Amino acid sequence: MTLATTEPAARERAMPMPRRRGLLQRIWHHRHDYLYVLPAIGVMLLVIAYPVYYTVYLSFFSTPPNLALEDKIFVGLKNYGTVLTAESVHEATWNTWVWTIWSTFFAFVIGFGAALALNRAFLGRGLLRGTLLVPYVISAVAASYIWRWIYHSDFGVIGALSVQFGLTERPINFLDDRNNVMASLIVVNVWKEFPFAMIMMLAGLQTVPEQLLRAAQVDGANALQRFWHVTLPHVKGVTLVTVLLLLVTNLNSFTIPWIMTGGGPAGASEIWITHIYQIAFGRIRFGLASAYSVILFIVMMGLGYFYVRALTSGDERTPA
Amino acid sequence: MNAQTERQALESLEPVLRKRKRDPWVTTGNVFIAVLTLFSLLPMTWMFITSIKTQFAAVQYPPEWWPSNPTMQEYLKLLLPTSELGREFLRYMLNSLWVSFATTVLGVIVAVPAAYAFSRFRFPGRNLLFYSVLLRNMFPAVVFLMPLFIMMRWLGLVNTQFSLILTYLTFGLPLSIWLLKGFYDNIPPQLEQAARIDGATRFQAFLLIVMPLSSPGIIATAIYSFIMAWNEYVYALTFLNDKSKLTLPVGLQRFFAEYATNWPGLMAASFIMSVPVVALFLVLQKYFVKALTEGAVKS
Repeated sequence: MTLATTEPAARERAMPMPRRRGLLQRIWHHRHDYLYVLPAIGVMLLVIAYPVYYTVYLSFFSTPPNLALEDKIFVGLKNYGTVLTAESVHEATWNTWVWTIWSTFFAFVIGFGAALALNRAFLGRGLLRGTLLVPYVISAVAASYIWRWIYHSDFGVIGALSVQFGLTERPINFLDDRNNVMASLIVVNVWKEFPFAMIMMLAGLQTVPEQLLRAAQVDGANALQRFWHVTLPHVKGVTLVTVLLLLVTNLNSFTIPWIMTGGGPAGASEIWITHIYQIAFGRIRFGLASAYSVILFIVMMGLGYFYVRALTSGDERTPA
Repeated sequence: MNAQTERQALESLEPVLRKRKRDPWVTTGNVFIAVLTLFSLLPMTWMFITSIKTQFAAVQYPPEWWPSNPTMQEYLKLLLPTSELGREFLRYMLNSLWVSFATTVLGVIVAVPAAYAFSRFRFPGRNLLFYSVLLRNMFPAVVFLMPLFIMMRWLGLVNTQFSLILTYLTFGLPLSIWLLKGFYDNIPPQLEQAARIDGATRFQAFLLIVMPLSSPGIIATAIYSFIMAWNEYVYALTFLNDKSKLTLPVGLQRFFAEYATNWPGLMAASFIMSVPVVALFLVLQKYFVKALTEGAVKS
């Protein structure tokens, strides 16, 4: 019995192994390479690694409201318990879910549609693409104010139009109505980020070989079949990356809800990030907000795993 | 997409019809793009129309579709340093310019060598470092807000623009590194090898051969970081208090809080704030698009 188990190991040891230098030796050998990445890594460590560590650390403490951090009190997992059981967190979680899913869905679908429509040569195509991208490049703060003005309950242009055309009796209340506020905010968000999906998918569509589409056409595939069997498989990777990036961006949204409603009315448009910000810098409860952030962070890491996998899949440039 | 599925369904039902008519795909696509263009542009058009109204005209009911007496007074108020308001606004603008410019320059200086190393060298820990750089994109900004605030306070940087520059730098880095790495991967290493044979050091080869060849990538990176820094709001909101140090997004918010009913003024300020990024973007659109899509798309 003993013989049987030890023998293969012994044989393996006896086999000539490729000589591999020790890790330290290899690091020393490449020491000059590190000089190139050192500034980047230094900045990242300072502004990323340390904050992540500190957030986790702080999440176990109760912090005083004057931020005299030497007076913080260790409370173990109490902050996590508070976050996970709070009613307002549950509402914010539901809102975040609604916000993220619908924003991502519409931004992607509209963006992909636009990409398909733009994916052929015609006069003024570059100009049109540029025009459609403008909402994406302007500041979210400016965009939020523009839409606040459009949505204004007394002087808003949409409200005035709907009354003039007799669609509604009174101007629609977009932002101060619990039932309308999320949808109104999502429209703004989609307006702002569908161009991102468009540009990503357009780049993806340009990698679909023209000959392949023609060959399929010659073989009698209709447009739907060509789309399904030729185009889609080619843009699978970029679709995955785009959707993931949209999901992450939307989970991290802050500016549009913050400026337009501040989470109101009565928490009806509160999402995770605005809620955390409110707890941290409104109520100055860093410990609690840190625990909240850590939970969010874990959700993100899950998505992050898929993101890196999507980015690196089929990347033959990257050695194992 | 809904329109598209419908169209596809229609098409498979009526293959005969399709042959006779002009390609319905193209027609529907054009209609879709036209509607989308309106959706994109109308809010911005309304911003501009409002900005050239008087305050009184802006709150007329029904709204004036085009102002009966258009005026540039809000723009003049904001852009001429003759009033308190104008001086404040110009200061915000200068602050924004300085922060965005410094972020961009520092970002390029730090990202270029790192991207080059990730592209060319095979040192231990390369993949680990590279992926952790990429993962930065996934972290919610708010996770960093509190610790960075504490850190900046500790370093005495709260209420200085350097705190913003340092923070924005890290936002831009992952994307810059990723984008530039793509560029370096496409530059044949033989060029540097030839330079090395001619007696250049490795660093000289990098500086004199590779750098000039990668300038489109560097431009793309620079535009992206500039626009991002120009538009950033959360950190500026948190780190800065002093009125004289604010950047435009936070300045705009202050402005709104003070002159809440002056919608033409607010729209004019939003317009002015959008002009530099939109201009920069339209001129260098090609590079910007490259910055966004590089890496995600492999041909």
